[in-house]
Amino acid sequence: MADLPNRLERPLSVAAAIAALSGKTNKVVPVAGATWIMRAGSRGEKIDGTFVDLSAIPDLSDIDVAKDKVSIGAMATQDVIAKGLAGHADMAALMMATGYTANPAIRRAATIGGNICTADFAASDIVPALLALDAEVEIVSPDGTSLMSMAEFLSTRRSLGRAVLVTRIVIPRRLQASTHSRITLRKAGDYPVANLSAAITVAEDRTIRTAAVAVGGVEPVAKRWTGFENALIGRNLESGEFREIAGNYTDEFEGRDDTGAPGWYRVRLLPALADRAFRFLTKSTA
Amino acid sequence: MTTSLMINGEERSLTCDPRTPLVDVLRNELRLTGTRNVCREGYCGACSVHVDGKPMSSCLLPVGTLEGRDIVTIEGISQGDKLDVIQQAFIDLDVIQCGMCFPGMVMTLRPFLRDNPSPSRDAVKFALVGNVCRCTGYERIIDAVMSVVDATEVTE
Repeated sequence: MADLPNRLERPLSVAAAIAALSGKTNKVVPVAGATWIMRAGSRGEKIDGTFVDLSAIPDLSDIDVAKDKVSIGAMATQDVIAKGLAGHADMAALMMATGYTANPAIRRAATIGGNICTADFAASDIVPALLALDAEVEIVSPDGTSLMSMAEFLSTRRSLGRAVLVTRIVIPRRLQASTHSRITLRKAGDYPVANLSAAITVAEDRTIRTAAVAVGGVEPVAKRWTGFENALIGRNLESGEFREIAGNYTDEFEGRDDTGAPGWYRVRLLPALADRAFRFLTKSTA
Repeated sequence: MTTSLMINGEERSLTCDPRTPLVDVLRNELRLTGTRNVCREGYCGACSVHVDGKPMSSCLLPVGTLEGRDIVTIEGISQGDKLDVIQQAFIDLDVIQCGMCFPGMVMTLRPFLRDNPSPSRDAVKFALVGNVCRCTGYERIIDAVMSVVDATEVTE
């Protein structure tokens, strides 16, 4: 019997992983938690190419929560991140986006790096959370290590090439409180029809000093909701009316249609999501 | 490529395509058919196994990534003829209907009760959020779990 071709490589270092991902003529697929690639069949796709399993690389799964920043290894799983960030109000958006989404078994397998690198995954909860928290993405390539903003990463991730590895997510701790809200068609284990992450700082008189709001699931790629953000600056957090204010800025979005929900419905949910998020922030900063 | 791992306490060397989902290896190669092959999307929980003590969806685990890991399936949790306390509770309270979801439920509940020996009813429901029963016998399942919450046999 002929030997089966080698369909999986397990590099033991970042450099070995980059070497495995580049310099090949056949198709190679970086595999983190494998929760996306292993469902290829359900999307009408084939599992093809050689897997480069990143799980044996040390130092990519840790979380370091320091005073000025949070640093998360790209191979950290959702459940580990949620536990690591529990009790930190400024990181609540990411804690919720990792700890209260998907099923428990998925949360034990799916990684933050795999999530943000899956460009076809429009309904990520983690991506809008990282956008709202002004996260940066550490990239390692044959040219060295660099940091780029989450927005820049999202706009370039399809063209970065395969000899590039996301190794860490770095989040500055500049904001006071954050949250993440989502609407699903089914309660358990479902992708969100739309989601929203918000992060703010508030003055002593309860006026909003800074606001970052990001929306996912509505368009093919999550993005910041800048008109709504600007309208929030200087408003008193106790004044309410967030649903009405958000409703004035929904024209920044063009909803995507798919079998889960029509685009107009996704956009229509945004004021309700904004209201839910800012009610939470009003309480959590009181 | 050979993948070496422990399955139900036995060392195994597998020579199949390393991208094969673990559930297919368990059922088709090793004839451990208690692990159910249902949604293949990580949604239903019927294929749950323990990987190093944690319940995971075996439909989403490429077997080649499990080198050196310790896998336990539903066949591996009873001690000879003595069923696990959760399995026994399901029988005693006549909970089992079609039987498709129950192996996965047991595999989810066992580490949950090990780590949470006195959970509330709501906590049990939350733990089972990734295990779907299309016979919809949920309340009786929870009744059975609550009947054993103080059982000391739930250990790894």
